[in-house]
Amino acid sequence: MSQKTTRGQDGNRDHYRASNCPEAALISARVLSAEGAPATRSASGVERRPSAPRPPLNKRGSGSLLSQPAPQSKYLWIRIALFERQLAKIIEHLVNNASRYYERDALVADPDYGSILSSLLVGPCALEYSKAKAPAYFWTDPPADELVQRHRMSAGTTTPPSVRRPILNFRRSLNASSDDGSVVNAGTANTSASSAKDYVESLHQNSRATLLYGKNNVRVQPKDVEEPMPGYLSLHQSAAGLVIKWTPNQLMNGYAESEGIDKSQFRWHLVHVSACPHKCILCSAAPCTVFRQRCAGSLCINCVYWAMSLQVCVWEVVYVHVHRSKASDALILVGQDGVQRPPIHFPKGGHLLSFLSNLETGLLPHGQLDPPLWSQRGTGKVFGRGKIRRRPLPSLCESGESEEPDWEEVAGDYVFRIVNNAITDREAMRHSLLERVVQSPPRTPRRPLASTSTTSSDSSTMSVDCPSTGVNGHTPTPPPNPIVEEVASIELVCSTMRRQIISRAFYGWLAYCRHLSTVRTHLSGLVNPNIISKEGIESGLTEEIWRSMMDNRGVVTDKDEVYRIVYYGGVQHDIRREVWPFLLGYYEFGSTAEERMEQDMTYRRQYETTMSEWLCVEAIVRQRDREATAASIARLTESSGKPRPEITEPNEVFEDDCSVISDNPPIVSPEPSENEQRKPESKPVLSRAPSIDEVDNIELDSEEKEKDVDKLNGETETIDSRDVDSLNDLEEDDKVCIKSVVENPDMRRESIAEIKRLAEGFVQKGEGRGLLCSVDSGNANLNGNDMRSSIDEVQPDTHQQHTSVIITNPSVDLAPSGSPASGGTTANVSPARSPLGVVREESHSAGASFDTLEPSDGRPDNRSNCVSPASSNGGVYSNELVESFALNLHRIEKDVQRCDRNYPFFTDENLDKLRNIMCTYVWEHLETGYMQGMCDLVAPLLVIMKEEASAHALFSRLMHRARDNFPSGQAMDAHFADMRSLIQILDCELYELMHAHGDYTHFYFCYRWFLLDFKRELLYQDVFAAWELIWVARHVASEHMVLFIALALLETYRDVILANAMDFTDIIKFFNEMAERHDASAVLSLARDLVLQVQTLIENK
Amino acid sequence: MAKTYDCLFKLLLIGDSGVGKTSILFRFSEDAFNISFISTIGIDFKIRTIDLDGKKVKLQIWDTAGQERFRTITTAYYRGSMGIMLVYDVTNEKSFENIKNWIRNIEENASADVEKMILGNKCDLDAKRQVSKERGEQLAVEYQIKFVETSAKDSLNVEYAFYTLARDIKAKMEKKQEASNPPGGRSGAHQLKANEQQRKPTSWLSRCSVL
Repeated sequence: MSQKTTRGQDGNRDHYRASNCPEAALISARVLSAEGAPATRSASGVERRPSAPRPPLNKRGSGSLLSQPAPQSKYLWIRIALFERQLAKIIEHLVNNASRYYERDALVADPDYGSILSSLLVGPCALEYSKAKAPAYFWTDPPADELVQRHRMSAGTTTPPSVRRPILNFRRSLNASSDDGSVVNAGTANTSASSAKDYVESLHQNSRATLLYGKNNVRVQPKDVEEPMPGYLSLHQSAAGLVIKWTPNQLMNGYAESEGIDKSQFRWHLVHVSACPHKCILCSAAPCTVFRQRCAGSLCINCVYWAMSLQVCVWEVVYVHVHRSKASDALILVGQDGVQRPPIHFPKGGHLLSFLSNLETGLLPHGQLDPPLWSQRGTGKVFGRGKIRRRPLPSLCESGESEEPDWEEVAGDYVFRIVNNAITDREAMRHSLLERVVQSPPRTPRRPLASTSTTSSDSSTMSVDCPSTGVNGHTPTPPPNPIVEEVASIELVCSTMRRQIISRAFYGWLAYCRHLSTVRTHLSGLVNPNIISKEGIESGLTEEIWRSMMDNRGVVTDKDEVYRIVYYGGVQHDIRREVWPFLLGYYEFGSTAEERMEQDMTYRRQYETTMSEWLCVEAIVRQRDREATAASIARLTESSGKPRPEITEPNEVFEDDCSVISDNPPIVSPEPSENEQRKPESKPVLSRAPSIDEVDNIELDSEEKEKDVDKLNGETETIDSRDVDSLNDLEEDDKVCIKSVVENPDMRRESIAEIKRLAEGFVQKGEGRGLLCSVDSGNANLNGNDMRSSIDEVQPDTHQQHTSVIITNPSVDLAPSGSPASGGTTANVSPARSPLGVVREESHSAGASFDTLEPSDGRPDNRSNCVSPASSNGGVYSNELVESFALNLHRIEKDVQRCDRNYPFFTDENLDKLRNIMCTYVWEHLETGYMQGMCDLVAPLLVIMKEEASAHALFSRLMHRARDNFPSGQAMDAHFADMRSLIQILDCELYELMHAHGDYTHFYFCYRWFLLDFKRELLYQDVFAAWELIWVARHVASEHMVLFIALALLETYRDVILANAMDFTDIIKFFNEMAERHDASAVLSLARDLVLQVQTLIENK
Repeated sequence: MAKTYDCLFKLLLIGDSGVGKTSILFRFSEDAFNISFISTIGIDFKIRTIDLDGKKVKLQIWDTAGQERFRTITTAYYRGSMGIMLVYDVTNEKSFENIKNWIRNIEENASADVEKMILGNKCDLDAKRQVSKERGEQLAVEYQIKFVETSAKDSLNVEYAFYTLARDIKAKMEKKQEASNPPGGRSGAHQLKANEQQRKPTSWLSRCSVL
């Protein structure tokens, strides 16, 4: 407290002066900006630190800051410095230069206290305050992390099996039924369970108990351990009185962290329930279940630490001994029975004193330390400065009485007595207990009998037990009955009991049998009947193993072995690219390397052909979009005040073209004149520039042109004769601009860029006019060794295979708006894609504008067909098709843009690939269309395969199974149903909780898990492993591995879920917060164990 | 665990995909903005407790997937919600037009008296704007729903929107309570109900129920 005020006064005085300290300069700049512009602070705060969330100072404090500026701003710099984690550095600077800033007698100028102050602040400055929330938040909705941490500490307290129904494992349940002693044990385990949970709760500041003092790395030497262990010492004030607790760090941190430290001490191993010979002697219940514990011999690992932890009720302590030495300060608590607790070693530096003062404060008003720490000295009012009057331990320190050495410096031994104010009460109590007479319960929560035990459970058990013992003891013995009556009644009781026991046993057995038969019927479909063992698998599929399995032609035959290795060990990352196509069934096992290369090649060609198809449509879509945008913007500017009905909107803007068409489709009479007017002004620009002057390699191919134009005419004729006329008018101009680009790819790239550039210019000039550019992609390299070199001039006979791409002003949407996807696509993709033999460009303004200006709500059959002149499949796309693709395209783009952007792989270039794969797939499956989540499924494949076509191949494979998970399929409901039965059977306790809350047996909280195969739940490298497991599991263990992984996730946190009695919302929140923080390898191995469990169960019919 | 709020309101964010539902939610709950949000799959929710006229109101705000394909899942959450935010993107005409569909969807699936509000998000992108504020207002008038343009990126009106919706829910709730308990005096039944509410604080349905 005093430190704080010191900081405030001294620091405030000086913080402007400390300009030669860089941190201080930074902070004072912040303070100035905060003070100067409180209103705009929120915006500027974001700009300054775009990555970090704004500290709550701004968030919540803006109102209060305005209302009471004076005191707030005085300390504002401290808060800001704390948020910026610079406070310690500033204070250190101040201390080092104290002579300049402070009077000699200032606290900061003191060589000791100054440095203590600055080093004390290092701790607070290490905390991240910007994420801090209102304190209430922590009490009501602890974040998932905290829940997990709390659980780790109380993990030993799983519900004993006697409470559970018989579970899957036979041997286990047989043991339980034969073991009569387990009932007794279960009872104690139960209480220890509940008290341990309370214990964990109570370590945190909560509504029931106030945390008076907490210090970490306080060392205590429990018995059976060679040297003192560090732990967390805390002092709590609860309704029941003061409690001192010490918890080993291993419990505080959870065993995940402690594993490394303690491996030498305990041999831990993951064991299957049935395989573990041990039984924890403390919690007896779960020596080591396969689910969540590791075996550590006679004690389960949690109980080992639990046994070490201390929990002492202060009222049970009579004497507090303090042994001070050079090395450390030790404190020993001695109970009423004279038994000593293990010494508690405090680190040097006043911690012990501070603990004692807190203890003394906490004892008030019912008790006190005798002698008191500092109350009578007057000087002791300053925290930590108290000179202490103490009573030296007579046996140890004879001369101590007269001296009063400085507490901080001198070693010595002291003893305090904890005095209860109602001391006479206690004396009376003792006496009365001896006499077996119970008085009224004591005013204070002090226990009349000292508990000798220090384990966590016992002190709280005592508090319950003592009074009742007293009462029982006091109950007068029943009046003596006639002997006959007694015998009869005892016989009666015995027989009743016998009957009850037998019937219970029978019904238990019956229920168990029924249960098992349900299990078998429900589960037999979920797993494969044969158990394939893990024998001999240590490392997973490494490159070495993989190569050794491959013969010299690259043939891998032993697919079962591959599956088995991958199932148990995964694939080494470097060879994933090679192995995944096998795992997904794209490559056949038994194929040679050559065959696979061939397959790749063919697939790539197919892929490119498909792609060119949809690129055509994309171009049309782009054009429409542009117009729609223009329409909205136009409307926005034109009539901001009076919005019109939406349906007529597109028409209104493009009145000249569209309204006529939509009103009267076949007749376009009013329009052409306009078209012709525009033609002359726009045409020449396009045609002149590139074709002859600038691009040398572009040669005029009049033959080609003629052909195309003829074809074009033929097609357009069917649409609108008027259009054809206009087209024919254009012919002369067209001659110039029809180009065929040949020879090398670089050239082509150039020319495409050129075309784009021109198109841009063209579109700008002849706004709304479509530029038609057909890109023939054929199998120019049918023999295909070097794709590039084989590209020649287009042969007329390859024409049939060609598909065409209409690029309607490709650059308009893209280039200006900076979207990488659209404009770049054609440029990036087509050059790399070799089969593009010829790029021809035609300006076809009349036709294109006619098509694309079709109002989007137009009738499907009003001949608004899109023309692609050289297309092999006729090149006519129905309006319907275009629209549905447009819809998909927009969705894809939206999702691709935000897919895993924080993963470095996804640069714009790779996002483009992702988009292409997605579009191609959707184009092939237009009836299902794009569904959110598909991007997530492609992303990891692309990361591994790196190349579009093969990623697409794998994705198509993957979707065979995954498709059904999407809303259009049925698999999700089946998954939920299976999950329900699995949980019901494997963990009925959890099932009951879910059932009790009623609303989440539908399992929507695992929707995302199944939809994306856990892609969002795990980190990328873990996703790879999980996916491999899922893929190969169908050949090894279970076709529904996803279920078992989901179950494993649920089981991993089952105790957290149970302990907090989570309802549906809690569980959703929990798992959403835990996303990407799971211990994937543990979850996956647990999933395999679960499969094995079910398999064993079914096998043992 | 002690519950430190007086009321729990369950709100829902709906609208086309990519309009910024998650961003709005994130802005409101964490006061932050991230340009690279991933698409929401399934459902998620965030919690923030606000102070409303001296009452601590805990808002549990559900975020849904936008694609209409997922409506079968998201409509399951309509029923329990007390307030619904309809979000569209001012730079996307289509998303605005779809608001009508969303409203129809609400009418079919949500409780009749659910409070609604329309948000025109991304209003910071004025250059790309396709839907004018007036059109938004007009639509709101047509359906008699409150409307505000927001920007999750610039933190514009997000707080206001949620506070307004929460206040409306609260007002409606109080009005209902008053109607069921005529001001003549508090009936015993009401007292009993109040006790009941205190006993089961975990179930939001038992508290502040508007149903």
